[in-house]
Amino acid sequence: MSATKAARMGEEVWKTRIDKVNAELVTLTYGSIVAQLCKDYEGDYLEVNKQLDKMGYNIGLRLIEDYLAKTAPQRCVNFRETAEMIARVGFKIFLNITPTVANWTSDNKQFSLVFEENPLGDFVELPDDGRAQNELWYSNLLCGVLRGALEMVQMQVDAHFVSDTLRGNETTEMRVSLVRYIDDELPQSED
Amino acid sequence: MTIYSFYIFDRHCECIYIKQWHERERAGAAIRPTTSASTTSPIPDKRVSAGGKQITETDISMRNGRLSVQDDAKLIFGVVFSLRNMVRKLSTPDDNFISYRTNNYKLHYYETPTNLKFVMITDVKTNNLRVVLHQIYVNLYVEYVIARNLYVLMLNNYIAVEHSGGEGVACELFELGLESFVVRTLKLIELTT
Repeated sequence: MSATKAARMGEEVWKTRIDKVNAELVTLTYGSIVAQLCKDYEGDYLEVNKQLDKMGYNIGLRLIEDYLAKTAPQRCVNFRETAEMIARVGFKIFLNITPTVANWTSDNKQFSLVFEENPLGDFVELPDDGRAQNELWYSNLLCGVLRGALEMVQMQVDAHFVSDTLRGNETTEMRVSLVRYIDDELPQSED
Repeated sequence: MTIYSFYIFDRHCECIYIKQWHERERAGAAIRPTTSASTTSPIPDKRVSAGGKQITETDISMRNGRLSVQDDAKLIFGVVFSLRNMVRKLSTPDDNFISYRTNNYKLHYYETPTNLKFVMITDVKTNNLRVVLHQIYVNLYVEYVIARNLYVLMLNNYIAVEHSGGEGVACELFELGLESFVVRTLKLIELTT
């Protein structure tokens, strides 16, 4: 499926089949989750990153079913197409944003998602303790979501942020790399 | 048309949902025992209500010497799994079979990209039910099982994942939804043919 076709599909599904909630509600709810985690782990931001990723993973495992049910897509023929579908359909229908797919490696197994806007990060200031700026990946939930969702469609990926405007970087960029395609599980033998 | 049974298998090859409406009439007359009354408990443990019709005396006697519901499910999984893999080898990897029929029944198949397998077994006269199975996935499974478990997950602090042993699939909303959906579909199909 071409990029334009994917974009049209994302637009169409977002307009017709998605229940919407106020964006600020999402932003504030997510903000309070992260704030609470920071409190619970007493400023251990690496652990907070890990927890956000785990929460995202569990969301992703289920969100993929919702995605498939709403879009009824064809199976992607290669990882490039998968990337386009994630950016133009997945992010579009669930967050109403379309990150840019960029920086492919030559073996077509790694790409970046560059977020021009990120509803999770609106109104956010990272704690001014000298560490959060270097350690906390505020939107790390999204990495987990991608990891979980793609695992369900037989792709093991690694996803992590490499820059975030909240940290003072110029862009918000997530790096996604394909580890392997997962083989179908075989049924256990009787004995 | 008549629907005999319905199964869902997850990506771990586990049967996570079984429902039987009518006892399958696949055993031919020759195999059917002549004595009508039986002493053994005819329908062992299964998560099943005898949907529309009561199970009749003859159905029960047919049950003798037959496999348990769980063994049935295993066999069905085996058939579907092998058939699907063979079909893919013969054609392209994204190809899949839609249904097959025998002299006595027809098996309809729908698989999601997440390797969930939906199987429905009906009489031979039934037209293709792929669309129906897709609708069960979209409108019932995703709506009631996936969404509901998301809620349970939050309560459990994101520990529980997926439905081991089919736990959480046979929830009330899903059961009721499935029942009424099937009844509606049957009526619709009868009206249009």
